[in-house]
Amino acid sequence: MDSYSVYIQSVASIYPEGEPVEGRFSINEPDYKEWIKEAGSRRRMSRIVKMGVTAGLQCLQNMAVKPEAIITATGLGCLADTEKFLQSIGSLNEELLSPTPFIQSTFNTIGAQIALLSDNKAYNSTYVHRAFSFESALLDGMMQLQTGNADSVLVGAVEELTPTVFYILERMGAWRKFPAGEGTSFFLLGNEKTHQTVARIVAVDMQRGNFSKDQLTQKRSDLLRRNGVSDARIVSEEMFKPICGEYQTASSFGLWYACTQLNGNGFVLITNSWLNNYTAVVIEKFTKE
Amino acid sequence: MDQLKQELKEALIQALNLEDITAEEIVDEEPLFGDGLGLDSIDALEIILILERNYGIRLTKPEEAREIFYSIDTLADFIDKNRKK
Repeated sequence: MDSYSVYIQSVASIYPEGEPVEGRFSINEPDYKEWIKEAGSRRRMSRIVKMGVTAGLQCLQNMAVKPEAIITATGLGCLADTEKFLQSIGSLNEELLSPTPFIQSTFNTIGAQIALLSDNKAYNSTYVHRAFSFESALLDGMMQLQTGNADSVLVGAVEELTPTVFYILERMGAWRKFPAGEGTSFFLLGNEKTHQTVARIVAVDMQRGNFSKDQLTQKRSDLLRRNGVSDARIVSEEMFKPICGEYQTASSFGLWYACTQLNGNGFVLITNSWLNNYTAVVIEKFTKE
Repeated sequence: MDQLKQELKEALIQALNLEDITAEEIVDEEPLFGDGLGLDSIDALEIILILERNYGIRLTKPEEAREIFYSIDTLADFIDKNRKK
Protein backbone atom coordinates (compact mmCIF):
# COMPACT_ATOMS: atom_id res chain seq x y z
CA MET A 1 0.00 0.00 0.00
CA ASP A 2 1.16 3.54 -0.71
CA SER A 3 -0.45 6.83 0.19
CA TYR A 4 -1.98 7.11 -3.28
CA SER A 5 -3.74 3.75 -3.36
CA VAL A 6 -7.52 3.80 -3.63
CA TYR A 7 -9.47 0.72 -2.67
CA ILE A 8 -13.05 -0.31 -3.33
CA GLN A 9 -14.40 -1.51 0.00
CA SER A 10 -18.02 -2.14 -0.87
CA VAL A 11 -20.22 -2.17 -3.97
CA ALA A 12 -23.95 -2.10 -4.68
CA SER A 13 -25.99 -1.98 -7.84
CA ILE A 14 -29.61 -1.93 -8.92
CA TYR A 15 -29.81 -3.07 -12.52
CA PRO A 16 -32.17 -4.76 -14.96
CA GLU A 17 -32.62 -8.44 -14.31
CA GLY A 18 -34.26 -9.86 -17.37
CA GLU A 19 -34.58 -9.39 -21.08
CA PRO A 20 -35.26 -6.02 -22.71
CA VAL A 21 -38.85 -5.35 -23.71
CA GLU A 22 -39.33 -3.46 -26.99
CA GLY A 23 -35.66 -2.50 -27.07
CA ARG A 24 -35.39 -1.22 -23.53
CA PHE A 25 -34.32 -2.56 -20.18
CA SER A 26 -35.98 -1.62 -16.89
CA ILE A 27 -34.40 -2.07 -13.50
CA ASN A 28 -35.59 -4.72 -11.13
CA GLU A 29 -37.00 -2.44 -8.42
CA PRO A 30 -36.27 -3.40 -4.83
CA ASP A 31 -38.67 -2.76 -1.96
CA TYR A 32 -37.79 0.89 -1.39
CA LYS A 33 -39.64 0.97 1.94
CA GLU A 34 -36.95 -1.24 3.38
CA TRP A 35 -34.29 1.40 2.67
CA ILE A 36 -36.17 4.69 2.73
CA LYS A 37 -38.30 4.08 5.77
CA GLU A 38 -39.88 7.49 6.20
CA ALA A 39 -42.99 7.69 4.02
CA GLY A 40 -42.75 11.50 4.06
CA SER A 41 -39.35 11.39 2.34
CA ARG A 42 -40.21 8.55 0.02
CA ARG A 43 -43.41 10.01 -1.39
CA ARG A 44 -41.64 12.98 -2.98
CA MET A 45 -38.93 10.89 -4.59
CA SER A 46 -39.19 9.86 -8.20
CA ARG A 47 -37.98 6.46 -9.37
CA ILE A 48 -34.41 7.58 -10.13
CA VAL A 49 -34.05 9.19 -6.71
CA LYS A 50 -35.37 6.11 -4.93
CA MET A 51 -33.10 3.77 -6.87
CA GLY A 52 -30.00 5.92 -6.40
CA VAL A 53 -30.60 6.52 -2.71
CA THR A 54 -31.30 2.83 -2.14
CA ALA A 55 -28.12 1.71 -3.92
CA GLY A 56 -26.10 4.29 -1.99
CA LEU A 57 -27.52 3.11 1.33
CA GLN A 58 -27.01 -0.55 0.33
CA CYS A 59 -23.35 0.22 -0.37
CA LEU A 60 -22.94 1.73 3.09
CA GLN A 61 -24.74 -1.15 4.80
CA ASN A 62 -22.54 -3.14 7.17
CA MET A 63 -19.62 -0.74 6.67
CA ALA A 64 -18.18 0.69 9.84
CA VAL A 65 -17.18 4.00 8.26
CA LYS A 66 -19.16 7.11 7.54
CA PRO A 67 -18.06 8.54 4.17
CA GLU A 68 -16.31 11.89 4.31
CA ALA A 69 -17.48 12.68 0.80
CA ILE A 70 -20.52 11.69 -1.25
CA ILE A 71 -20.00 12.06 -4.98
CA THR A 72 -22.67 11.17 -7.50
CA ALA A 73 -22.75 11.12 -11.27
CA THR A 74 -25.50 11.21 -13.85
CA GLY A 75 -25.56 11.81 -17.57
CA LEU A 76 -29.09 13.14 -17.81
CA GLY A 77 -30.29 13.42 -14.21
CA CYS A 78 -33.83 13.17 -12.87
CA LEU A 79 -35.59 13.08 -16.21
CA ALA A 80 -39.07 12.01 -15.11
CA ASP A 81 -39.37 15.00 -12.76
CA THR A 82 -37.83 17.33 -15.35
CA GLU A 83 -40.30 16.15 -17.97
CA LYS A 84 -43.20 16.49 -15.53
CA PHE A 85 -42.18 20.03 -14.67
CA LEU A 86 -41.63 21.07 -18.30
CA GLN A 87 -44.93 19.54 -19.38
CA SER A 88 -46.77 21.38 -16.62
CA ILE A 89 -45.24 24.67 -17.83
CA GLY A 90 -47.01 24.05 -21.14
CA SER A 91 -50.26 22.59 -19.89
CA LEU A 92 -50.74 25.19 -17.14
CA ASN A 93 -49.68 28.10 -19.30
CA GLU A 94 -46.60 28.85 -17.14
CA GLU A 95 -48.77 29.44 -14.07
CA LEU A 96 -49.49 27.56 -10.84
CA LEU A 97 -46.60 25.14 -11.21
CA SER A 98 -46.22 22.39 -8.65
CA PRO A 99 -42.98 22.89 -6.66
CA THR A 100 -42.17 19.21 -5.99
CA PRO A 101 -41.04 18.05 -9.47
CA PHE A 102 -38.95 21.20 -9.79
CA ILE A 103 -37.26 20.67 -6.43
CA GLN A 104 -36.63 17.01 -7.14
CA SER A 105 -35.48 17.45 -10.74
CA THR A 106 -32.08 18.92 -9.91
CA PHE A 107 -29.09 16.71 -10.67
CA ASN A 108 -27.80 16.68 -7.10
CA THR A 109 -31.03 15.40 -5.53
CA ILE A 110 -29.69 11.86 -5.14
CA GLY A 111 -26.45 12.82 -3.42
CA ALA A 112 -28.34 15.23 -1.20
CA GLN A 113 -30.95 12.64 -0.21
CA ILE A 114 -28.26 10.07 0.64
CA ALA A 115 -26.62 12.70 2.84
CA LEU A 116 -29.92 13.59 4.52
CA LEU A 117 -30.92 9.99 5.17
CA SER A 118 -27.49 8.98 6.48
CA ASP A 119 -27.08 12.20 8.46
CA ASN A 120 -23.93 13.10 6.55
CA LYS A 121 -22.82 16.74 6.34
CA ALA A 122 -19.55 16.07 4.50
CA TYR A 123 -18.44 17.16 1.01
CA ASN A 124 -21.24 16.47 -1.45
CA SER A 125 -20.85 16.88 -5.18
CA THR A 126 -22.51 15.74 -8.41
CA TYR A 127 -20.92 15.38 -11.84
CA VAL A 128 -23.06 15.80 -14.94
CA HIS A 129 -20.53 15.30 -17.71
CA ARG A 130 -22.53 13.14 -20.09
CA ALA A 131 -20.59 9.91 -20.79
CA PHE A 132 -17.70 11.07 -18.58
CA SER A 133 -19.89 11.69 -15.53
CA PHE A 134 -19.05 8.52 -13.63
CA GLU A 135 -15.32 8.64 -14.38
CA SER A 136 -15.23 12.31 -13.31
CA ALA A 137 -16.91 11.41 -10.02
CA LEU A 138 -14.52 8.52 -9.57
CA LEU A 139 -11.51 10.77 -10.18
CA ASP A 140 -12.84 13.32 -7.67
CA GLY A 141 -13.32 10.53 -5.13
CA MET A 142 -9.79 9.29 -5.70
CA MET A 143 -8.38 12.80 -5.30
CA GLN A 144 -10.36 13.33 -2.08
CA LEU A 145 -8.57 10.27 -0.70
CA GLN A 146 -5.16 10.99 -2.20
CA THR A 147 -5.04 14.57 -0.95
CA GLY A 148 -6.07 13.52 2.54
CA ASN A 149 -9.42 15.34 2.46
CA ALA A 150 -11.22 12.09 3.22
CA ASP A 151 -10.52 8.56 4.39
CA SER A 152 -13.62 7.10 2.81
CA VAL A 153 -15.73 8.29 -0.09
CA LEU A 154 -19.04 7.12 -1.52
CA VAL A 155 -19.08 7.35 -5.32
CA GLY A 156 -21.97 6.32 -7.52
CA ALA A 157 -23.81 6.84 -10.76
CA VAL A 158 -27.48 6.75 -11.58
CA GLU A 159 -29.52 6.95 -14.76
CA GLU A 160 -33.18 6.46 -15.58
CA LEU A 161 -34.85 5.74 -18.89
CA THR A 162 -38.11 7.49 -19.70
CA PRO A 163 -40.25 7.04 -22.82
CA THR A 164 -39.30 10.53 -23.98
CA VAL A 165 -35.55 10.06 -23.71
CA PHE A 166 -35.86 6.60 -25.26
CA TYR A 167 -37.56 8.15 -28.28
CA ILE A 168 -35.20 11.13 -28.62
CA LEU A 169 -31.98 9.14 -28.23
CA GLU A 170 -33.29 6.43 -30.53
CA ARG A 171 -33.49 9.04 -33.27
CA MET A 172 -29.84 9.92 -32.54
CA GLY A 173 -28.89 6.26 -32.96
CA ALA A 174 -27.88 5.77 -29.33
CA TRP A 175 -29.41 2.29 -29.10
CA ARG A 176 -27.87 0.84 -32.28
CA LYS A 177 -25.33 -1.34 -30.50
CA PHE A 178 -27.23 -2.25 -27.34
CA PRO A 179 -30.80 -1.92 -26.06
CA ALA A 180 -31.55 1.19 -24.01
CA GLY A 181 -30.90 0.70 -20.31
CA GLU A 182 -30.84 2.26 -16.89
CA GLY A 183 -29.51 1.56 -13.44
CA THR A 184 -27.36 2.68 -10.56
CA SER A 185 -24.08 1.47 -9.06
CA PHE A 186 -22.30 2.73 -5.96
CA PHE A 187 -18.80 2.16 -4.58
CA LEU A 188 -17.37 2.91 -1.17
CA LEU A 189 -13.74 3.92 -1.63
CA GLY A 190 -11.08 3.94 1.04
CA ASN A 191 -7.33 4.41 1.37
CA GLU A 192 -6.55 1.24 3.29
CA LYS A 193 -6.81 -2.37 2.29
CA THR A 194 -9.00 -4.32 4.69
CA HIS A 195 -10.52 -7.81 4.83
CA GLN A 196 -13.57 -6.34 3.03
CA THR A 197 -11.63 -4.78 0.16
CA VAL A 198 -12.89 -5.81 -3.25
CA ALA A 199 -10.34 -4.16 -5.55
CA ARG A 200 -7.78 -1.42 -5.96
CA ILE A 201 -8.37 1.28 -8.55
CA VAL A 202 -5.26 1.53 -10.69
CA ALA A 203 -6.24 4.06 -13.36
CA VAL A 204 -9.14 5.96 -14.91
CA ASP A 205 -9.02 7.20 -18.49
CA MET A 206 -11.32 9.36 -20.62
CA GLN A 207 -10.86 10.00 -24.34
CA ARG A 208 -13.06 11.86 -26.79
CA GLY A 209 -12.63 11.61 -30.54
CA ASN A 210 -13.30 9.65 -33.68
CA PHE A 211 -10.84 6.80 -32.99
CA SER A 212 -10.33 3.67 -35.06
CA LYS A 213 -10.40 0.27 -33.36
CA ASP A 214 -6.61 0.05 -33.66
CA GLN A 215 -6.14 3.49 -32.11
CA LEU A 216 -8.33 2.53 -29.18
CA THR A 217 -6.46 -0.73 -28.67
CA GLN A 218 -3.20 1.24 -28.67
CA LYS A 219 -4.55 3.78 -26.19
CA ARG A 220 -5.63 1.02 -23.82
CA SER A 221 -2.29 -0.78 -24.12
CA ASP A 222 -0.57 2.51 -23.33
CA LEU A 223 -2.82 3.01 -20.31
CA LEU A 224 -1.89 -0.40 -18.93
CA ARG A 225 1.82 0.11 -19.65
CA ARG A 226 1.88 3.56 -18.03
CA ASN A 227 0.45 2.01 -14.88
CA GLY A 228 2.87 -0.92 -14.82
CA VAL A 229 0.25 -3.52 -15.73
CA SER A 230 1.59 -6.16 -18.10
CA ASP A 231 -1.45 -8.40 -18.24
CA ALA A 232 -5.13 -7.65 -17.60
CA ARG A 233 -8.39 -9.37 -18.26
CA ILE A 234 -10.78 -7.23 -20.26
CA VAL A 235 -14.37 -6.46 -19.34
CA SER A 236 -15.71 -4.83 -22.47
CA GLU A 237 -19.11 -3.26 -22.98
CA GLU A 238 -20.04 -6.37 -24.98
CA MET A 239 -19.90 -8.24 -21.67
CA PHE A 240 -21.91 -5.98 -19.43
CA LYS A 241 -24.27 -3.98 -21.64
CA PRO A 242 -26.33 -7.03 -22.65
CA ILE A 243 -27.23 -7.04 -18.93
CA CYS A 244 -27.63 -3.36 -18.05
CA GLY A 245 -28.31 -1.85 -21.46
CA GLU A 246 -26.90 1.36 -22.91
CA TYR A 247 -26.83 4.56 -20.89
CA GLN A 248 -24.42 7.39 -20.26
CA THR A 249 -23.10 6.08 -16.96
CA ALA A 250 -23.20 2.37 -17.86
CA SER A 251 -19.47 2.13 -17.14
CA SER A 252 -20.37 2.23 -13.43
CA PHE A 253 -22.22 -1.03 -13.95
CA GLY A 254 -19.16 -2.31 -15.84
CA LEU A 255 -17.03 -1.61 -12.77
CA TRP A 256 -19.61 -3.29 -10.53
CA TYR A 257 -19.65 -6.26 -12.93
CA ALA A 258 -15.84 -6.57 -12.84
CA CYS A 259 -15.85 -6.36 -9.03
CA THR A 260 -18.57 -8.92 -8.45
CA GLN A 261 -18.97 -11.22 -11.43
CA LEU A 262 -15.38 -12.13 -12.27
CA ASN A 263 -13.68 -14.93 -10.40
CA GLY A 264 -10.14 -14.79 -9.06
CA ASN A 265 -7.55 -12.07 -8.56
CA GLY A 266 -5.62 -9.89 -10.92
CA PHE A 267 -5.79 -6.81 -13.07
CA VAL A 268 -8.95 -6.02 -15.02
CA LEU A 269 -9.42 -3.39 -17.73
CA ILE A 270 -13.04 -2.20 -18.01
CA THR A 271 -13.79 -0.42 -21.27
CA ASN A 272 -16.81 1.56 -22.34
CA SER A 273 -18.00 3.85 -25.10
CA TRP A 274 -20.88 6.24 -25.72
CA LEU A 275 -20.96 7.78 -29.20
CA ASN A 276 -17.44 9.28 -29.53
CA ASN A 277 -16.61 9.12 -25.83
CA TYR A 278 -14.35 6.32 -24.63
CA THR A 279 -13.56 5.47 -21.04
CA ALA A 280 -11.44 2.86 -19.32
CA VAL A 281 -10.94 1.90 -15.69
CA VAL A 282 -8.16 -0.42 -14.54
CA ILE A 283 -8.56 -2.27 -11.26
CA GLU A 284 -6.64 -4.89 -9.37
CA LYS A 285 -9.23 -7.31 -8.15
CA PHE A 286 -8.82 -9.15 -4.86
CA THR A 287 -10.46 -12.22 -3.47
CA LYS A 288 -11.98 -11.35 -0.10
CA GLU A 289 -9.90 -12.68 2.80
CA MET B 1 -70.24 18.80 1.54
CA ASP B 2 -69.36 15.10 1.86
CA GLN B 3 -68.71 14.95 -1.85
CA LEU B 4 -66.44 17.98 -1.62
CA LYS B 5 -64.47 16.39 1.22
CA GLN B 6 -64.05 13.17 -0.73
CA GLU B 7 -62.92 15.12 -3.81
CA LEU B 8 -60.47 17.09 -1.68
CA LYS B 9 -58.98 13.98 -0.12
CA GLU B 10 -58.48 12.40 -3.52
CA ALA B 11 -56.85 15.60 -4.83
CA LEU B 12 -54.50 15.66 -1.83
CA ILE B 13 -53.55 12.01 -2.24
CA GLN B 14 -52.72 12.56 -5.88
CA ALA B 15 -50.94 15.91 -5.60
CA LEU B 16 -48.98 15.03 -2.46
CA ASN B 17 -48.23 11.46 -3.58
CA LEU B 18 -49.57 10.04 -0.32
CA GLU B 19 -48.73 6.44 -1.10
CA ASP B 20 -50.40 3.79 1.05
CA ILE B 21 -53.11 6.20 2.22
CA THR B 22 -56.70 5.96 1.03
CA ALA B 23 -59.31 8.71 1.18
CA GLU B 24 -61.18 6.71 3.85
CA GLU B 25 -58.13 6.80 6.11
CA ILE B 26 -57.97 10.59 6.18
CA VAL B 27 -60.07 11.68 9.14
CA ASP B 28 -62.06 14.86 8.46
CA GLU B 29 -61.37 16.57 11.77
CA GLU B 30 -57.74 15.49 12.31
CA PRO B 31 -54.85 17.92 11.65
CA LEU B 32 -53.30 17.76 8.19
CA PHE B 33 -49.97 19.17 9.33
CA GLY B 34 -47.66 18.04 12.12
CA ASP B 35 -49.07 15.19 14.16
CA GLY B 36 -51.96 14.24 11.90
CA LEU B 37 -51.22 13.49 8.28
CA GLY B 38 -47.70 14.87 8.74
CA LEU B 39 -47.75 17.37 5.90
CA ASP B 40 -45.13 20.13 5.67
CA SER B 41 -44.55 23.54 4.09
CA ILE B 42 -44.01 22.19 0.56
CA ASP B 43 -47.36 20.40 0.87
CA ALA B 44 -48.92 23.72 1.87
CA LEU B 45 -47.75 25.15 -1.45
CA GLU B 46 -49.33 22.20 -3.26
CA ILE B 47 -52.63 22.79 -1.40
CA ILE B 48 -52.56 26.46 -2.41
CA LEU B 49 -52.24 25.29 -6.03
CA ILE B 50 -55.17 22.86 -5.61
CA LEU B 51 -57.35 25.71 -4.27
CA GLU B 52 -56.47 27.95 -7.19
CA ARG B 53 -56.54 25.37 -9.98
CA ASN B 54 -59.59 23.37 -8.92
CA TYR B 55 -61.75 25.96 -7.16
CA GLY B 56 -60.51 29.31 -8.46
CA ILE B 57 -59.62 30.46 -4.93
CA ARG B 58 -56.59 32.69 -4.41
CA LEU B 59 -55.45 33.02 -0.81
CA THR B 60 -55.11 36.72 -0.13
CA LYS B 61 -54.44 36.55 3.60
CA PRO B 62 -51.56 34.12 4.25
CA GLU B 63 -51.96 34.63 8.02
CA GLU B 64 -55.28 32.78 7.80
CA ALA B 65 -53.72 29.75 6.11
CA ARG B 66 -52.90 27.96 9.38
CA GLU B 67 -56.56 27.99 10.37
CA ILE B 68 -57.89 27.15 6.93
CA PHE B 69 -55.42 24.31 6.34
CA TYR B 70 -55.94 22.76 9.77
CA SER B 71 -58.07 19.80 8.65
CA ILE B 72 -60.23 18.49 5.82
CA ASP B 73 -63.23 19.96 7.67
CA THR B 74 -61.79 23.49 7.80
CA LEU B 75 -60.47 23.31 4.26
CA ALA B 76 -63.76 22.06 2.83
CA ASP B 77 -65.66 24.74 4.75
CA PHE B 78 -63.38 27.45 3.34
CA ILE B 79 -63.73 26.10 -0.21
CA ASP B 80 -67.50 25.85 0.11
CA LYS B 81 -67.75 29.50 1.13
CA ASN B 82 -65.24 30.91 -1.37
CA ARG B 83 -65.20 28.73 -4.45
CA LYS B 84 -65.48 30.40 -7.85
CA LYS B 85 -65.76 27.20 -9.84
